[in-house]
Amino acid sequence: MPRSELIPSHLAPVKALYPANRRGFMGGALGLAGAMALPPLLARPARAQGLLAPALVPMRLSPDQLVDMKCCLRPLRAAGPNLSTETVGRKLVVHNYGHGGSGWSLSWGSAEVAVGKALSVLPSRIAVIGCGIIGLTSAIMAQRAGLHVTIYARELLPRTRSFRASGSFTPSARVALEGPAGPQFGDLWEQMARFSWKMFRTLLGLPGKPVEFSDSYAVSDEPITRRVWPVDPAITESYETSGLPRQNAEFARLDSRIRDIVPQAVPLLPEENPFPTPFATRTSQMHFNFPAYAQLLMDEFFARGGRYVMRSFHAPSALAELPEDVIIHATGYAARDLWGDRSVIPVRGQTGWLVPQPEANYALRFRNMSALSKADGIVIMNNNPDLGDMLGVGESMELPQREPLLEAMATLAGVFAGTYASPAQAAGAGA
Amino acid sequence: MTRPGARKVAMFLGASLLASAGAGGVAAQGRGTAAGMYTSAQADAGGRLYAIHCAMCHGAGLQGTVEVPPLTGRFVANWGGRPLGELFHYLSRAMPQHAPGALSAADNANILAFLLRTNGAPVGGRELPSEATQLERIRFDAIQPAP
Repeated sequence: MPRSELIPSHLAPVKALYPANRRGFMGGALGLAGAMALPPLLARPARAQGLLAPALVPMRLSPDQLVDMKCCLRPLRAAGPNLSTETVGRKLVVHNYGHGGSGWSLSWGSAEVAVGKALSVLPSRIAVIGCGIIGLTSAIMAQRAGLHVTIYARELLPRTRSFRASGSFTPSARVALEGPAGPQFGDLWEQMARFSWKMFRTLLGLPGKPVEFSDSYAVSDEPITRRVWPVDPAITESYETSGLPRQNAEFARLDSRIRDIVPQAVPLLPEENPFPTPFATRTSQMHFNFPAYAQLLMDEFFARGGRYVMRSFHAPSALAELPEDVIIHATGYAARDLWGDRSVIPVRGQTGWLVPQPEANYALRFRNMSALSKADGIVIMNNNPDLGDMLGVGESMELPQREPLLEAMATLAGVFAGTYASPAQAAGAGA
Repeated sequence: MTRPGARKVAMFLGASLLASAGAGGVAAQGRGTAAGMYTSAQADAGGRLYAIHCAMCHGAGLQGTVEVPPLTGRFVANWGGRPLGELFHYLSRAMPQHAPGALSAADNANILAFLLRTNGAPVGGRELPSEATQLERIRFDAIQPAP
């Protein structure tokens, strides 16, 4: 079916506003010029004046804008983050690792739990192993509780893996498998997510915008529904039988527990939709601007007298050499090797980074390809919609691949231009 | 010079060693919560009171929030290493926040027992007293978190 037939008749004015060029977008000089070239401005529908649909500046998604690629391994731990304790020699070790794709999002709540356990033995100084977002927030929470903290790590943010995340508030992203995590994990997760959410609220509106909200649009040529992943009985293997999850239904689904505080997607009326697609939703998405946020945290750590020692560890017994008697272990994926924790599963994920475009301050997702405008660039992702949470599971190749990023950029550019092909068109062209 | 923190941790480790050495060793250690200072029945009763009077703010899991102090973890750091009587006095006079001093001394002692148990302090054979003067002679010891 041609795309025009997919668009209901009441959308005809919307379609008319989106010829196959960018003039339909009312922002920027190009948009202004376009508007001036069309004299009967007042005759246009209200949405064209930006009363209902915001006038968005189109994103520049041409290949020349791609200035960086990042790839890293999310430490999915089957039972969820390890927050247990153990003794090594005479040291108390409090674990805080294995947060999957939710490390930034859960960091404050997870640090509260870990630091609380460390505080139970009344230390005056502690060591933190690792300086990703989990180690750094643990260190700062301990300092805020009055402790002297030394971070021992091979490197500091921004050279640690955390800096290679995409950086949105996604507190349940590949954070646990439902079976191994057990029914009690949901309560702990909710506690950490709620705690973190409140802490992030204290970081809004600061210079450099370490944390901010922006509008996030999902657009489609089909009605938008939340995808569900029922158990596929044809898949007989599972984490329990093979050491790796084998289908989406194995992952813990937790987001609904905090939907009372986290903005949910709302469907847009045609006159509210800034994009030339028949269907769209909008939500308010919180994201982290890594450079400003990392600097803010490092500054606080050192301002509170924090000490850094560059060091790597190759066996748990090496911790016995440290002068501190209480140690928070926050090495993320490296815990798989250092602590021999084989329940930590690599989940490969990559992002492309475009030249920053602060005037285009929103996110767009189409067929699970996304562009999110952040302070340090527009972050591009291309997540195969048919794989869902299984994307990258078990993959430990940490080098980025350019082609999927360019594909996502080209597809999203087609949305802005109004030239994207519908699945029906694509099928027709192929026949 | 001994660092205060090192002394506290040593105290915790010492208490653990003594606890494993048997009751005689514990008695020699003095009266601290590491020696088992409340009964299970008392903590059970305290748990029921907690659910009614405390959980609405501090959470069913004692976890607190950003705004409400948790009653585990940093709670031990706030009250540990000092006489249990201090915490008892505070409970008696300032809690529950919406009706300070509304609970009886026995109820507060039971809640205290529940808090000790939930934080991992060992249970003992004798009830935690509900008289402030006796509680002032019991030290709130450091606690090794559960594995």
